[in-house]
Amino acid sequence: MNLAVSTPWGLAGLLLVLLPLFTSGMQASATPWLALMPADRLSSFIDAGLRLCAMTVIAALVLGMAGLHRTEQSLERIGHGAHVVLLLDRSSSMDNSFAGRAPNANNDGKDAEESKSGAARRLLTDFVKHRETGLIGVAEYSTSPLFVMPLTENKTAVQAAISATATPALGFTHVSKGLGMALSFFQQQSVTGSRIVLLVSDGAAVIDHDSEQKLREWFKQQQVRLYWIFLRTANSPGIFDKPEDSRDDNAQAMPELYLHKFFLSLGSPYQAYEAESPDALKQAIADINQLENLPMHYFERIPKQDLSATCYRVAGLLLLVLLAVKFCEVKR
Amino acid sequence: MTHRLKDYRLWCLLFALIAMLVLFIIPSKKQKSPTYNYTFIIDITRSMNATDYQQDNQAVSRLSFVKQTLRDLLRDLPCQSKVGIGLFTERRSTLLFEPLEVCSAYTEIDTVISKIDWRMAWAADSNIAKGLLSTLDMLKKSDSSVIFITDGQEAPPVNVNYQADFSGLRGQVKGMIIGVGGLQTVPIPKFNSQGEQTGFYKPEDVPHRSSFGQSTLAPSQIKGYNARNAPFGNDVVTGNEHLTALQETYLEKLSAESGLGYARLADLQSLALALKNSKLATEKLVQTDIRWQWALLTLLMISLVYLPGIYQYHRFFR
Repeated sequence: MNLAVSTPWGLAGLLLVLLPLFTSGMQASATPWLALMPADRLSSFIDAGLRLCAMTVIAALVLGMAGLHRTEQSLERIGHGAHVVLLLDRSSSMDNSFAGRAPNANNDGKDAEESKSGAARRLLTDFVKHRETGLIGVAEYSTSPLFVMPLTENKTAVQAAISATATPALGFTHVSKGLGMALSFFQQQSVTGSRIVLLVSDGAAVIDHDSEQKLREWFKQQQVRLYWIFLRTANSPGIFDKPEDSRDDNAQAMPELYLHKFFLSLGSPYQAYEAESPDALKQAIADINQLENLPMHYFERIPKQDLSATCYRVAGLLLLVLLAVKFCEVKR
Repeated sequence: MTHRLKDYRLWCLLFALIAMLVLFIIPSKKQKSPTYNYTFIIDITRSMNATDYQQDNQAVSRLSFVKQTLRDLLRDLPCQSKVGIGLFTERRSTLLFEPLEVCSAYTEIDTVISKIDWRMAWAADSNIAKGLLSTLDMLKKSDSSVIFITDGQEAPPVNVNYQADFSGLRGQVKGMIIGVGGLQTVPIPKFNSQGEQTGFYKPEDVPHRSSFGQSTLAPSQIKGYNARNAPFGNDVVTGNEHLTALQETYLEKLSAESGLGYARLADLQSLALALKNSKLATEKLVQTDIRWQWALLTLLMISLVYLPGIYQYHRFFR
């Protein structure tokens, strides 16, 4: 019961509660001296009751006006869910379709092809909508990482961040900085449920040695699971491709393969999905939704409860009593 | 019966009960109140690191002052107002999130503003006119007002032959340009790749004139002109482009061309006034709780009933 009022100075009105202590609220009758009357227990009970009634009416009115409410509470619960950071690629190529074309170009009267970022946006919005418990945050990266939305329960906020990726994409792919940003989301969070970084990208980049070291360390410290949804453009190298020529077997020529190898070597749980179409992307997201439901502690928020209506109801009812009693008053 | 009706207390109680009944029947009324929908586009180019604001007797950078002021402003906005955040660098801006209702998403918006950093810039140029143009183009379909917060420092300087043309967008987007910075020139801090400051930008670090496209001068007037190798001549140009100050006349010109308002960021009050005074508000019908008015009336009535009559005490005054 954490009670609070919205306008504390309004409580000064509570002083009025004292009024019924001084007067009976009845017209003085012509009986000369009360002491002449024999003491009557019932009468004093009724008198005290009526005064109490009036005091309660005044107190309830004042509390109602001051805006009495129960503050927002959080209830600890155990459920299934995860803390998910969506790490989205904002590099320019994301605005192309899976076939590697700019959408709307040359579609011969057929439906326009969906861009990779468009498909990701649509399916991730859906993903967010269907997560029941847990927190979701959003980070983006192109040449530099962008902090977009902290881990939050507010799905509208996450969806606003996802739909803002409809604005044109930015620059290059600098995945290590993006991963660093995503991992930093978990720094002040207690470890509960599963912690996931969901990387959605259509390309990879070489990670330099220093960043590699740091990422290894952070992944281990934060106990984060990594999912990589690779949006593969037609005819481009994939994650699982083996180099045909041994001369191409290096990080510069096949950054996707090498990034995949690096993720495998992290030692923390890692799963890669290669999506070549919106349907494959949908499948990958559904998979993750299924997998990531470990037991976790979470706090259910119980919003603030307005109690002023109750106050007014009490006041109204007791006022009715007072008025009824008033009609019973004997007058001579 | 006549006795009873003479008692003013009865009337007070009756009146109080009627007021209570009205309270339950008409608990709220619709009232027009202004709400706002802003998309703040914040300049995060290097010149925004210049420290020419004071906060708690400490020099703070333009960017951190902007962040602090916006966070304070966020607290002032009425519920049902919306705020979106975007960043500007190079020659365009990006939207971090679409406008969110300020009361339900206060923590989220506040955290995002606090995390804005100059290192989020994806490229280092600062071409403000082009940035503004692309921002307006990007947001012309949204019903949010664009608040473009910048110091107006173009880097590299703009070639007057290739200026942004706002004629197509004029009047389509409402909003304001907010000028940030002092009018005195100050040096721009320089950082290394670890984010540590390593001094300030020096004259030789930055271009002092535009070398894009064709020069505005006739070739005969350019010293050392060579159409292919030196279209701008071979003179060493020096200038003050390594220093920065609020380019107010330039921003006023941009605001006039693009049909936006202009205000300078001095403190929270002036910013709030500028943003609320302009025509950016939309009147929304908001249900306002008026129960307190009826409750006050009831309280007054019941207090009258129990008000100690002066006649009871008049003997003290005798």
